[in-house]
Amino acid sequence: MTARADLETIRALMRRALNEILRVPGAAIPGVLAPTIFFLGLTAVFGNLTLLPGFTTDSYQSFLIPVSLMQGAGFTGAATGVNLARDIEQGWFDRLLASPAPRGVLLAGLVLSASFRVLLPATVLLTVGFALGAHWPGPGGLAIALLITMGMAIVAAAWGTTIALRFKSQSAAPLMQVGMLLLILTTTAYAPLALLTGWLQEVARYNPATQIVDAARQGFVGTVSWDETWPGLLALAGLAALLVALALRGMRRTAD
Amino acid sequence: MTNLRVIGALGRRSINQTFRRPQLIAPILIFPTLLLAIQVGGAGRAVDLPQFPEVNGFLDFMIAGAMIQAALLAGNSGGIALALDIEMGFTDRLLAAPISRFAIVLGRLVGTAALGAATAVWFIAIALIFGAKIEGGVTGALLIILLVTLSAIAFGAIGAAIALRSGSASVVQGLFPLVFVILFLSTAFFPDNLLLEPAASIAEWNPLSFIVEGIRDLVISTFLGPSFAEGVAALALVSILGLLMSAAAMRGRLKRG
Amino acid sequence: MPGVTERRSRVHTIRAMPAIETRDLQRVFSGGITAVAGVDLKIADREIYAFLGPNGAGKTTTVRMLTTLLRPTGGSATVAGFDVVSEAGEVRNAIGVALQEAALDPLMTGRELIRLQATLHGIRRAEGQRRAERLLARVGLENAADRRVGTYSGGMRRRLDLASALVHTPQILFLDEPTTGLDPVSRKAIWEEVEKLNREGTTVFLTTQYLEEADNLADQVGIIDDGRIVAEGTPAALKEEVGRPHLEVVLADGTMDRAEEILGRFGRPLPAKDGAALVELKEGAAGVAPVVRALDDAGLVVESLDLVQPSLDDVFVAKTGYHLEGSETPDVEENELESPA
Repeated sequence: MTARADLETIRALMRRALNEILRVPGAAIPGVLAPTIFFLGLTAVFGNLTLLPGFTTDSYQSFLIPVSLMQGAGFTGAATGVNLARDIEQGWFDRLLASPAPRGVLLAGLVLSASFRVLLPATVLLTVGFALGAHWPGPGGLAIALLITMGMAIVAAAWGTTIALRFKSQSAAPLMQVGMLLLILTTTAYAPLALLTGWLQEVARYNPATQIVDAARQGFVGTVSWDETWPGLLALAGLAALLVALALRGMRRTAD
Repeated sequence: MTNLRVIGALGRRSINQTFRRPQLIAPILIFPTLLLAIQVGGAGRAVDLPQFPEVNGFLDFMIAGAMIQAALLAGNSGGIALALDIEMGFTDRLLAAPISRFAIVLGRLVGTAALGAATAVWFIAIALIFGAKIEGGVTGALLIILLVTLSAIAFGAIGAAIALRSGSASVVQGLFPLVFVILFLSTAFFPDNLLLEPAASIAEWNPLSFIVEGIRDLVISTFLGPSFAEGVAALALVSILGLLMSAAAMRGRLKRG
Repeated sequence: MPGVTERRSRVHTIRAMPAIETRDLQRVFSGGITAVAGVDLKIADREIYAFLGPNGAGKTTTVRMLTTLLRPTGGSATVAGFDVVSEAGEVRNAIGVALQEAALDPLMTGRELIRLQATLHGIRRAEGQRRAERLLARVGLENAADRRVGTYSGGMRRRLDLASALVHTPQILFLDEPTTGLDPVSRKAIWEEVEKLNREGTTVFLTTQYLEEADNLADQVGIIDDGRIVAEGTPAALKEEVGRPHLEVVLADGTMDRAEEILGRFGRPLPAKDGAALVELKEGAAGVAPVVRALDDAGLVVESLDLVQPSLDDVFVAKTGYHLEGSETPDVEENELESPA
């Protein structure tokens, strides 16, 4: 297929994914609001952790916002997986597979849509977060945070796609959600690295997602610097490459 | 006393349903356990704060919240199972038989109770393995199992009421996120003097706070204080609420026919 | 054609090769279920070939292998001259597919669907739009084109599915049970469309449970049962192979015995039915005229005369031992099998 035809196919698939939100708005509401609801809950419960000596900020909202953004990415990616599982169950996916569109192009259409869909819960979250006193991260900090959020949405969508292709059923949805949740929460999600205890501190130390969370968090808790940014971007790129490769493998094996 | 036999039979069925398919129990046990592990690791330093109550460790503090979370999920899943029975038409068959209406709900609750007891044992084991100490001793542990089981029944009754009212499994399933919300608004995960608004105010009168504190008391203190009594009272309140809701929902369903 | 940059496969010029060829094609699923146990096919260009068999016979599995959706676990297959495994991309260029589940998105409109299909085949937007208009008109869906597919009737969905399978003018069209569940009027409409497509040069491979469909449409019929082809040939040849037509003659009262004696000269007598004398014609249909003459010469008055041909069901019974029942339920067992052994 020519490059032009491939791009057109990706655009068409992305448009279809976005259509879901427009045409069945009720279905999207939970996913859009969930990260904000968890944000409100967690800040109300654990907000006073900032009283601990060594906490890097006095605003738990500012500290937690990037984590909730990642959570939004996780839910969006899981939704992509669930939609694919439904398409597989209903035979729609066969239509795509029987066409000459290359598997990589089909995958791109699926996961790229997630990176745009995540902006919806992200916007709600940021609006509520700022209203509750989260620090303004500055244009640079905000851009980095959103870029990372979109990147994590691709990671989550690739994961959801892999699970959907493996189990071919919507009932695998919890697995899609739990996977991303574990990745995001076994990091400096609740507190800075030095204040984590026991096994979590060890895991967070080596979890690439910690770099990602910290990079997204920069502007909200302090100043933005390249030194803080590049490890997160590298980790994100690595994670994305790994999961997209996994998903592509799954796509290629649909006929097995 | 055919009703007792009916409850026994339905109870056996609901236990079979619950425990024969591990993929359904797993989320109820695994999810709160994972969350517990992460929260203990992430917020565990809070015990260093001067305002934090006297405990052996953060796990000792948290374990009660995890148990109640699991009990809520167990109640929710019992409601889903009943809703599926209704969708399938099984409940109609039971209603057409000469058995007490309530036997139908109680039979379902037997399964939920068993699940509640199982989660209590599970978390007690987790607590002991990971270094927590149950100050209440063996008696305390038994009381914990009892309280968690009764909680699961109470939540199950509310779940059953919603199932009877809506007749739809997806409606009951949709309440799943609510479990987390009401727990955030209680002292399930953090002490009341360290909560921020709006959680602080709501937690003050949230019955779940009292139930959790009652169980927590058995873990972190050596004697039965007022917290235990308050917990039992709150549990009684929720149970009565659940029973009234179920009765009303059942009546409504029978009237609608 | 202007605006068309879709890949055109070279097969459009090589028409002498068989359109579809398989050698010992097999598919075994996990758990040891053999859905297709070794199928040999050779389907000529521009032929209409029907796979006739009951649910679970292996029809859908075979179609899925030929349309590159499923990998064979044994044997080989080429479609439009390309191997379905190693040259899957080229196969997909040359085929149009309308599967049993009429895989449509209920939230899309008919027009959007065909245009998406066009995009998948690399057809440019303007050209895709033109083709969509033409195809929608061809299957009679112009008025419903901007309504969501979820509002379409079963017949409308099948027609839309068929139209979308044609957007890239494929050389070979695969139809999996195209009229199952449709009312007779819709069924006839699909048949007419398939015949028209065939006249225009498209090879058609269809699977069906309906004898009438195979009988009316197909140039060649393959009867498949339990993963194997048990009989193959033109509908006429298959029926002839199994039996000859029989004659049912009703005569004026009292003349039955004499008639039976005369009829016996022309073939094997069969048990009488409902007051009619039955005879299996040795000469086949050609034997009708002599029988009529003989009865007439004998002065017997014929009240009615029926020539009854053997049906494909008779063929089916002869080959498998049981009747083919055209049921309305989809091929559930086959569709749920996905992982190989």
